[in-house]
Amino acid sequence: MGTKMTTAYRLGVDIGGTFTDFAVVDEDSGAVRVEKMLTSAKAPEETVLRGVESLAAAVPDMLAQTSEVIHATTLVTNVILERKGAKTGLLTTAGFRDILELAREVRYDIFDMFIRLPEPMVPRNLRLGVSERVLADGSVLVPLNEAEVRDAAAAFRDAGVEAVAVAFLHSYRAGDHEKRAGAILREELPGVTVSLSHEVHPEPKEYERTSTTVIDAYVKGVAEGYLDRLSTGLQERGYRNRLFVMLSNGGTATVETAKSVPVQIVESGPAAGVEAASYFGRLMGLDHMLSFDMGGTTAKLCIIEHGRAARTRTFEVDRVHRFKAGSGLPAAVPVYDLLEIGAGGGSIARVNDLGLLQVGPDSAGSDPGPASYGLNGAAPTVTDADLLLGYLNPDYFLGGQMRLDIAAAQDAIQTGLAAATGLTAIEAAAGVHELVNENMTSAARVYVAEKGQAPSHLSLVAFGGAGPVHAVGLARKLGCPQVIVPPFSGVMSSLGLLAAPVAFEGSRAVRQIVNALDLDAVEAAFQELEDEASALMPEGSALLVRRSVDLRYSGQDYPLEIETEGPCNDAAVKSDWEARFEAAYNELYGKVDDDNPVELASVRVHVSQPAPQLDIARPAATTDAAPKASRKIYVSAQASMESVSVYERTDLRIGQEIAGPAIVEERESTTVIGPGDRLSVNAFGCLVVDLAIPTMSGEDSDDVPVTVAVGGG
Amino acid sequence: MQLDPVTIQILWNRLITIVDEAATGLMRTAYTPSVKEYHDFCCALFDTNAQMLSHSTVTTAGFLGIVPEVMRNFLKKHPPETLQPGDAIITNDPWIASGHLIDVSIASPIFHRDRIVGYTLCIVHHLDMGGRMSTLESKDMYEEGLKIPILKLYEAGKVNETVFEFMRANIRVPDKVLGDVRAQLVANNVCTRGLKALLDEYDLDGLEELGAEVIHRTESSLRRKIAALPDGAYRNDVVLPKIPGCDDEIEVKTLVTVEGDEVTIDYTGSSGEVGAAINCSYNMTRSYTAYPIKLALDPYVPNNDGGLRPIKVIAPEGTVINSRPPAATWGRTMISHLFPEIVFAAMENIMPENILASNGGSPANEIYLHGRNPDGRSFLAIAQHSGGFGASARCDGYSCLCFPNNTRNIPVEVTENEARMYYVRKELRTDSGGPGQNRGGLGQEVEFCILDGGTELARDVESSVRLSGRTEDGSFPVFGRRGGKNGRGSGMWANDQPVDHGIYRRLAPGDRVKFVLSGGGGYGNPLERAPERVLADVEQGYVSIEQAEIDFGVVIDAGRMEVDMDATAALRGRMS
Repeated sequence: MGTKMTTAYRLGVDIGGTFTDFAVVDEDSGAVRVEKMLTSAKAPEETVLRGVESLAAAVPDMLAQTSEVIHATTLVTNVILERKGAKTGLLTTAGFRDILELAREVRYDIFDMFIRLPEPMVPRNLRLGVSERVLADGSVLVPLNEAEVRDAAAAFRDAGVEAVAVAFLHSYRAGDHEKRAGAILREELPGVTVSLSHEVHPEPKEYERTSTTVIDAYVKGVAEGYLDRLSTGLQERGYRNRLFVMLSNGGTATVETAKSVPVQIVESGPAAGVEAASYFGRLMGLDHMLSFDMGGTTAKLCIIEHGRAARTRTFEVDRVHRFKAGSGLPAAVPVYDLLEIGAGGGSIARVNDLGLLQVGPDSAGSDPGPASYGLNGAAPTVTDADLLLGYLNPDYFLGGQMRLDIAAAQDAIQTGLAAATGLTAIEAAAGVHELVNENMTSAARVYVAEKGQAPSHLSLVAFGGAGPVHAVGLARKLGCPQVIVPPFSGVMSSLGLLAAPVAFEGSRAVRQIVNALDLDAVEAAFQELEDEASALMPEGSALLVRRSVDLRYSGQDYPLEIETEGPCNDAAVKSDWEARFEAAYNELYGKVDDDNPVELASVRVHVSQPAPQLDIARPAATTDAAPKASRKIYVSAQASMESVSVYERTDLRIGQEIAGPAIVEERESTTVIGPGDRLSVNAFGCLVVDLAIPTMSGEDSDDVPVTVAVGGG
Repeated sequence: MQLDPVTIQILWNRLITIVDEAATGLMRTAYTPSVKEYHDFCCALFDTNAQMLSHSTVTTAGFLGIVPEVMRNFLKKHPPETLQPGDAIITNDPWIASGHLIDVSIASPIFHRDRIVGYTLCIVHHLDMGGRMSTLESKDMYEEGLKIPILKLYEAGKVNETVFEFMRANIRVPDKVLGDVRAQLVANNVCTRGLKALLDEYDLDGLEELGAEVIHRTESSLRRKIAALPDGAYRNDVVLPKIPGCDDEIEVKTLVTVEGDEVTIDYTGSSGEVGAAINCSYNMTRSYTAYPIKLALDPYVPNNDGGLRPIKVIAPEGTVINSRPPAATWGRTMISHLFPEIVFAAMENIMPENILASNGGSPANEIYLHGRNPDGRSFLAIAQHSGGFGASARCDGYSCLCFPNNTRNIPVEVTENEARMYYVRKELRTDSGGPGQNRGGLGQEVEFCILDGGTELARDVESSVRLSGRTEDGSFPVFGRRGGKNGRGSGMWANDQPVDHGIYRRLAPGDRVKFVLSGGGGYGNPLERAPERVLADVEQGYVSIEQAEIDFGVVIDAGRMEVDMDATAALRGRMS
């Protein structure tokens, strides 16, 4: 029994809407093992625990030897998208209860007078004001009326409110009133979760802060309960260390932090996918890539340039108009700037009122799931279509762990789609496959343009269970010349959790002119931040510490981040910061001779482990693998079912080339290539598909205007 | 190179992305809430013939007709052959550019492979340009602030300090305003870099072919939509709300003629210039006259020079709609913001599905506050609040949503950090939405109070609050359409006394100013609104139980919060 002396495993677990993925790396050998299970929608933590047990079965006492469990989940996102969070009340400064509904009073599209706006997450009758007022300088104009807070609590109780967001004006400067109101609410409303705006997002601008706090309150109860049950379950099974959760920007948080500000983990699953794509991008030296993660419920795309994924400091949940910035509810948290589309294997296809085929955005998820899962799902889905088209192997789904019922898929498509449209089942299935690709293409085209890129420069890095099935079709429509399918592509997000070093970032606002800085105080702030961040790291880990300063011209809002080496105890550091800021500013914006003084907005510390080394098993074969079988798949160029070769991915040799049309199957996914496409296996075990002729769809004649939709910011 | 339709689409996207990146550069390097929050600006890209190819997605409608003219006017003074790389041209002349002095236009040529391939322009509504600023009382332009003729702000990359010095000497918060001027230069730099990158990437020598394509597509698309309307002449003559301090009655006479694939809007017969700060330049009139046509007929095709070509605007010189120097122009939106609904009303019968009832916050509210900080330096803040959106054939109007200009509100917390004041309230006003089968959006009630700075200098605050001036019983209420009722609520009070809007008032610490922005007009007969929709409005406090009966004929049992269907049927029977 090879029980090791040291803790020697790291475990990544990613919960998606349909599947939960696991990856465990042996720290000594670097060897990676993976697992995939259907997510239990009712108790996702039980899926995690079952998966962990299954992995641990092979290695006695594995959890006791595990140094880190890092977790990502789409649970929080789904709660928002499906509006299944807590019944939430909002407590505001009297006279300002409508801030949440007033928003910014602006149309997100100047030419659309019929725009739709998202429903406020708290309806007007659950928004209550109380007497209190803090001024811009933090002084108290009106003390908090505690009796009114208790009255509000009673009203919330009567209405059956389960969570309360408290957002008072200027609380980012003085949070005492919010703290006191929160204490009273907790006292009056036991069991009700409370979110305070100065804790969730301590920055000015009342609408954005209120919205972020309301979202936090809305998801907090669900997130807390879930993370608690998961922590306890892992401990009961022998795990002795902290549970870590990936944040929406790829950073890590302890489970305590994640529970206290769950709005920060809204995009944790997608962030893990981006980390994984970045990892392979770095390995392969790709400068311009588009990560494409298609799971059961949604597809996510993210531009990664020179190893850095697009980032933003605020994002929107529940966008009414998927192309348009401003059409969702703002959450002011740092996130990867990715595009999320309601398109996945579980997306439901139907014939709409106009008699036209429509796919998504709603998903059958894992329960009941696609008709072919045989779990009582009756609605036809993308997975059912892919099965009927021969892209998926009914006997090799999850390596045969789960059998797909082809008759059920055929029946669902025949009854639900073919009958109403007069198409054959195959034609209807081909329509579903085509349409979901088209939906993703049109959204991706705008997203890529918004980032100022051309698809023709981007390699599409595909993963997620459905990603490789749809990647080549998407790339062809979008105009990407190349598709890359990394190994373990069906469980990439869990791999991403292990590929990203555990890291914490802390910052402290300073807001002083650089020239007049007290450097001792700045150095003290840096050291405090380093101590705080280091304390959160896994015990005994080697630490990399990076310092930076946020600089701007005094009077501006947006700073530029300039890296700096410590300690700062020499006046020369001031002129060094100023000079480097000006150089960076001129580089970004051109020389405009600004003569305002440079201000230190904040200091920032980033503490991380060294980047982990994963040893992903490379293909061992020394000779070209022969096809393991052949089967009929739908070839869209011919609009017919054609017999093609089927390869087993693990049999392929590094350097082996395959000409399309063909299918490469692996345990968690399937890569489909078309006529003329050439697939090869590179040194990292990635499948690299060079597309035949990257033509783009979109017929257009001289007198038909091209419709372009570009979101504003 | 012959551009195929797919490449045109990608490059067209890119032309918009480039100006949006310019706008992002502007916002990121700006100093005042006027740019950062209010978004009163426009970034645009032109071909060598000064035809506008794209403008920033974030902009206000007021710039759309102005922008193309500004660039052409710049080139009349500084022909292309006299321009060098690194030149930047500036002006705030209302007639050459944007209709009032507070808007500053800055443009630069874009050189690529040693020749001019296009131009970049950025217009910003600044926080201050000296003078009396935000008041309707000014009698002529000279009272209104510093006028900057067309000058070179940069010449071959070298800054013209004289222009900066003149501006610095004439404005109240020079560090911030000149910071925003530099942010405009940033926008033009970013736009220039973006275009050069595009030309390099696609190995293009210029924009001629692409420009002609996108303009043609926008123009021909709009022409097709106009051609689908019945030919005819449609008239709408109105008397505008009274302007405080101005005795003249202002009449706008509008004749909309649809003929083939063109629309002509003729304002002949409208009132002459007035000695109040509401006179429009022709450019401004054109912006808001053309906007509703594109909005109603062809909203999804990106806008450019082609979007203006099928629309002819006739406004005789010397009218309040096409004024001459030195007319006072500060509050030109008091008139121009009304053009969209005047045009909609004229065209109501030929496109009833494509119009909006009136917006309760149009003309836009605008608040100025200025005074001194305890250290003696001036502070200056602007703010804006919107009224209820007009209902339409499709849906209720949203509460407090900006139209037609589309600027964002400035957060309460931002304004309170800029100015010595605090807001007492800012909330929706129940029952203010115009009743209709689709209801107008609610307006809002706003109140603020002056804080004491602690010294004699830092005591009083000068403030002007401009409202629409529209009242329910006036000549120009917030109109409902197709049987919908007018929007409700409006007015302004200082320390509970009714006062005029749009003029400066000296406020002492503790003084309170309250104002109400009207709800939007309703659309369709309110007696045909589904009772459950009225009930939902009552539950949320958008409509009171009393008004549910009076306006909608819906009787609600307050105890059970249910519609009394029998009583409702009976009441509606009596009312109809």
